[in-house]
Amino acid sequence: MNPRYLSQFLSKSSAGVATHIFSAFGTIVALCGFVGCDSKPIGSKFVLSERTEELISPARKRVQDQLTEDFGTPQDLVAWLRFPVDYGMHKGTIKDVEATDQGSYKFAVDWTDADAESLRIRRGAGLMMTSGDYAGTNVKVNHYAPESGRIHIDAFMNPAPAVGDELTVVGGKLQAGRMLYMEHCVHCHGTSGDGNGPTAKYLNPKPRDYRLGKFKFTTTKPLEKIATSDLKRTVKLGIPGTYMPSFMLLKDDELSAIVEYVRWLAIRGEMEARIVNELHGDYSTADVRERVKGGETNDEIEEELQTLFDEDFSETVDDLASGLAADWLRADEEPSLILPNVPRVPDSLESQERGKKLYLSGDTKCVSCHGPTGRGDGSSTEEFWDIPGSQPIQKYAVRGLHDDWGNPIKPRDLTRGIYRGGRRPIDIFCRIYAGIKGTQMPAFGGKTGPKDLKDEDIWDIVNYVLSIPYETDRAIHEPLSIPPLEQTTAATE
Amino acid sequence: MGKFWSIFFIFWSIVAVVAVAISPAMGWWFPTAAESPLGEQIDDLFFLILYITTITFIGTQVAMGYVLWRGATNTDDRAEFSHGSHSLEVIWTIVPAFILLFIALYQIPVWEQFRIQSHFPQDAVNSPIAEVTARQFEWRIRYPAPGRVFKGKSDIERWLKQPEPGDLYTVNDLHVPSNKPVLIHLRSGDVQHSFFIPDLRVKQDAVPGMVIPVWFEASRSKAYEWVCAELCGWGHYKMKARVVAESDEDFKNYLHELELEQFDDGVPELADSSAAGEEEVSE
Repeated sequence: MNPRYLSQFLSKSSAGVATHIFSAFGTIVALCGFVGCDSKPIGSKFVLSERTEELISPARKRVQDQLTEDFGTPQDLVAWLRFPVDYGMHKGTIKDVEATDQGSYKFAVDWTDADAESLRIRRGAGLMMTSGDYAGTNVKVNHYAPESGRIHIDAFMNPAPAVGDELTVVGGKLQAGRMLYMEHCVHCHGTSGDGNGPTAKYLNPKPRDYRLGKFKFTTTKPLEKIATSDLKRTVKLGIPGTYMPSFMLLKDDELSAIVEYVRWLAIRGEMEARIVNELHGDYSTADVRERVKGGETNDEIEEELQTLFDEDFSETVDDLASGLAADWLRADEEPSLILPNVPRVPDSLESQERGKKLYLSGDTKCVSCHGPTGRGDGSSTEEFWDIPGSQPIQKYAVRGLHDDWGNPIKPRDLTRGIYRGGRRPIDIFCRIYAGIKGTQMPAFGGKTGPKDLKDEDIWDIVNYVLSIPYETDRAIHEPLSIPPLEQTTAATE
Repeated sequence: MGKFWSIFFIFWSIVAVVAVAISPAMGWWFPTAAESPLGEQIDDLFFLILYITTITFIGTQVAMGYVLWRGATNTDDRAEFSHGSHSLEVIWTIVPAFILLFIALYQIPVWEQFRIQSHFPQDAVNSPIAEVTARQFEWRIRYPAPGRVFKGKSDIERWLKQPEPGDLYTVNDLHVPSNKPVLIHLRSGDVQHSFFIPDLRVKQDAVPGMVIPVWFEASRSKAYEWVCAELCGWGHYKMKARVVAESDEDFKNYLHELELEQFDDGVPELADSSAAGEEEVSE
């Protein structure tokens, strides 16, 4: 071919060639998509808390083993039925048993509360025999085929379970919650719910660490845990003013699965903390060092620990679990929920003014954090505070308030009209009534002393707080008779 | 060998044209028809441009195929060397220029309706339905209090600057009346986002520091997908939300429900009366 002819051809059709190169490249990319990447399981695991890490190694190992036994791993969850978590249960009756070549069984099951085809049971769910020869036996589901309604289990049982035996499959909801949690929540809140996912370090405020079992925005009384409905509301609506986004479009069963998984993680974390509390005073590395100085030997201490574990430690763990289960159960019961004695006091200027007086008074001390104008710039934000529980007393490195997780926090700027726990009057009422758990926002409600707030007073403050963002507007039209600033600051001192 | 390559390149051109031509019918990929009147006009523009580029593409591919085939089969004639043709250069500059000029002028009426504020539907402009604030990673929505009538432009501007006690707030779930133009004011709480409702063919960047009016009209009463179309951070994919177009009555009821919810004082039987009390104060 004539070289000149070739060069002419190339220059004229270079655009066409480029198109083909691009389409060929596109095909390769598409093919990679079909073939898929290497699908190694992600090595996510539950990590131990800092306090657990401070224990001497046999104690630490025992805590780890206990947690793995009672809660499993992220890949293989254990549903401890003692806790009030909706793990998801399906009851059924065996209608047909088929042995496989490997010595395991496949059951065809008549489900009492679901039809076989719509039911989804994941590998690893717990299967509990509830009647027949194997009543009380727990095995794991290997596989469930919705088309045939057959459950495949790995366990070998001889003789085979009989037709008509009843069984319950447990944990479907917890597993579904885990999948959704891993998709939507884990990158901030972390696999263990420790608020330390990969994106957490970029956020302020920090994502919630569930393991203290404390949540800020609740409709439950001051000493109670968060209600399931509160968590659901938070996930659904998000927390304005923070990075917690709204998951409004998730289906109701998805929301509730996520919430159950979060509650389960919180319970798991709190259980760990309570177990460690039993050991920390005597068996942390620092304690042991002290004791060795005091004349004991390492072997003696380890032997004592071993005796503790052998004798009544399981009972201790059991008691801790009962207490914890009761706490979480109570949070969802009616008496724990805040119900104002009186409906909202009509939102009149008089009510707002009464609220403002209470806000500025020395009895409530709202001003010391939220500031005289509600800007969140009270005097407490300028002080250096003690770290609670530190021996000897140490101070935080930064000025201002800190929450129970040790993170610096700011009192809310009430002029901005952003309410993290919701803007319904009942939300603000609950914030004042029960405080914000885990922070210095105290609980004002439910007390009967002469200087304590009654529900009417709280409503007045609610009306005032909700009016603060519009205060400048109102001041122009209808000035309030506000006590001069000198007096109010004097009152708080 | 020359014949092979010419057939090879001609073959792929034919594949490309056939694949694109049948893809809507096969459901491989193609936007479904727009569900808003302005969206239909935008679709018409899209098809006009698609036809022009299709004709151009087929024309150039046929010419290329001819040249390839001729070069591969005709080994007798020698190629002619030239420094180019002035008239050809003029033709393929002027013809595309005219096509582009035509498109630029032809689309003006649509662009004007879509983006020039003086051509927006005035009813929608005078009563904005909501303020939408994009933030990482959700859409926060503020409706004016039900029954709030705006008295002119300055009143709207004041409402945008200063929230009012009766305003209703929600997130990721924008309700609008269907079959009439509605207008929202779009802003951003942090970085750049983009308000995109694909089925209504409306897309507008949310720019920090700006309040941008956006109008659209949904022809059907249904829930539309609403997404962020500007990469705004690691959680960009989370900014999927919903626009629900519904009848006037349903919309009114929705706002009423929202109002009851927002002014809920936690005392069930009295929730209604307290919300009514709130309304009086806000007016």
